[in-house]
Amino acid sequence: MSSARPKLKPDTPKAVTAWNTQTGRTVYLTSERRWSEDVLDAAVLTAPQDEEELAFAKGDEQTVTDPYFMQVKAEGGVDGRETLRETIRAQGPTNHPMFGKQAGSP
Amino acid sequence: MYRYDQFDEQLVRERAAQFRGQVERRLSGELKEDHFKPLRLQNGVYLQLHAYMLRVAIPYGQLSSRKMRQLAMIADTYDKGYGHFTTRQNIQYNWVALKNIPDVLDKLADVEMHAIQTSGNCIRNTTSDHLAGANADELEDPRPWCEIIRQWSTIHPEFAFLPRKFKIAVTAAAPDRAAIKVHDIGLLMKPNANGEVGFEVFVGGGLGRTPHVGVSVRDWVSKGELLSYLEAIMRVYNRFGRRDNKFKARIKILVNETGPEEFTRLVEEEFAAQGPKEKVVLPDEEVARIMAYFAPPEFEDLPEVSQAFEREKARNEGFARWARINLRAHRTPGYASVHISLKPQGVAPGDATGEQMRVMADLAEQYGMDDVRVAHEQDIVLPHVKMDDLPAVYAKLVEHRLATANAGLITDLIACPGLDYCNLANARSISVANDIQAEFADADFEEEIGKLHVNISGCINACGHHHVGHIGVLGVDKKGEEFYQITLGGRADEKAAIGDIAGPGLRHEEVRPAFRRVIDKYLEVRNGKSETFIEVLERLGQEPFKEALYASA
Ligand code: SF4
Repeated sequence: MSSARPKLKPDTPKAVTAWNTQTGRTVYLTSERRWSEDVLDAAVLTAPQDEEELAFAKGDEQTVTDPYFMQVKAEGGVDGRETLRETIRAQGPTNHPMFGKQAGSP
Repeated sequence: MYRYDQFDEQLVRERAAQFRGQVERRLSGELKEDHFKPLRLQNGVYLQLHAYMLRVAIPYGQLSSRKMRQLAMIADTYDKGYGHFTTRQNIQYNWVALKNIPDVLDKLADVEMHAIQTSGNCIRNTTSDHLAGANADELEDPRPWCEIIRQWSTIHPEFAFLPRKFKIAVTAAAPDRAAIKVHDIGLLMKPNANGEVGFEVFVGGGLGRTPHVGVSVRDWVSKGELLSYLEAIMRVYNRFGRRDNKFKARIKILVNETGPEEFTRLVEEEFAAQGPKEKVVLPDEEVARIMAYFAPPEFEDLPEVSQAFEREKARNEGFARWARINLRAHRTPGYASVHISLKPQGVAPGDATGEQMRVMADLAEQYGMDDVRVAHEQDIVLPHVKMDDLPAVYAKLVEHRLATANAGLITDLIACPGLDYCNLANARSISVANDIQAEFADADFEEEIGKLHVNISGCINACGHHHVGHIGVLGVDKKGEEFYQITLGGRADEKAAIGDIAGPGLRHEEVRPAFRRVIDKYLEVRNGKSETFIEVLERLGQEPFKEALYASA
């Protein structure tokens, strides 16, 4: 279940990620509360702002599906226990790099 | 091949139209994901790591060239140019946008296909022997019974909300190529003492978190009583199967916790209690109507030996090797079944591009009596090809990277999508598969090793059937790092067995050299080439292989 991701501590730098409802593509919440497909655009959040942003994401149900926190580095970029999973989500399958985001959307 | 009647057609069209409305309401914000999710799952739509995934049913793995071409068109138009054939003889598209799925369902309906009951707690696609109707060792063709079960179980109101998903497999050959004993219900067609063909019924097989081999609950049930008997099993399951705990909800747990004898007694009691009105009686004309769709194609009267085939074998070493490894004997002289491997080096096992699908469709149309099968090993089979045509078929397969000569060998491995695609995964499967393929890339060496099944799953859900691989590989997550647990001695055939865990998990990069050491050990201790890996394992036990597995390189 996408919602059963590991719990992150309040002060751990994190980003809000989800799936675009129309296309299913992986997206990240930016500091302007827009959704970007580039993980490096993600707003780096800690408590208490993180919960506010997640609440915003959950309220934006028409645009995105199943938002959750992922761990990032303080300067941005995937980090933590789920680094491999989130890197694959950000870039595409490791066996088919050409089928990642750069390959465009059907 | 079965053709839809007006009811099938209407049902599939109505479901596609209904889902179109549901998608529109989801995209307009009217439906929240919580409400939409069960609806999309009922139509085979999952949300995976990168995108929505659509699972399309291929009843008992059978396709025509027209259907295969449509699958290719969908891969090219709505996906990124490929699809993934699964261990349940279905196909999955990995990148379909939700807004496009209603169109895809319409395109599927155009060729009598759909995605209904490919997800959720219902009776899923009934699977079968990919050589059904072609192999000499079969008692009779099991596909009509798969079709009868499909019709009975489709949108059956009583079985739409089972405790968990439910999988049925049917075979009619003693060598079990359909892995019936690791299904919720496995049906083996066999004669009774009077020579009348019916079914032995196995219940409670399954993999996942708690793997079990199915137990025989009925030595023989007649064809006429099959559906009533299945219904009795389903009722016992519906009534006593656990709904409080997802991990204990499969029928295998019920059979195991109740005990096979008591479970059998409950089924027999339910079966005996069915009143005449409750019995599912199959009218003879209906059985005959369905049987007619599976009548054998008109085979030509051909000599046993094909000169064209023999000439090409003598002339072309690549062809000779492929013929040795990838052809299966056909019941009709002058014909063979062709195993098309979707496991060339470096490709995700089971993936085929749109172009490859079209090539296979063309070959089926031109040389294969318009019949294409998906094997649960994630390969494709052309069941009926004239031996005379094999050189032409091979040449075309070579052009499109479809002629890998590894059917049943170590690099013809089963692997689930794993962490490269799957939202539930702990670890990657495809990259491990590719590592093992690279280690045994030398075709002579691979042939020397002989028959060996390697199955890889990216998590305990076991979609890659790791428990029943001669060597199984299970991806686990240890504090954020991928580890791989190895099992030895599993088998999915008529001697079905669950493999034993060999020891602690290995790091990703350790799997390849560990495999090499195990194979070297096998080559060292076998009594000649005719003693297969699994036979040696059964003769000597796990110890020598465990030692090899964990010996430092
Ligand atoms: S076994 Fe696990 S990782 Fe593999 S496809 Fe199934 S759920 Fe996903």
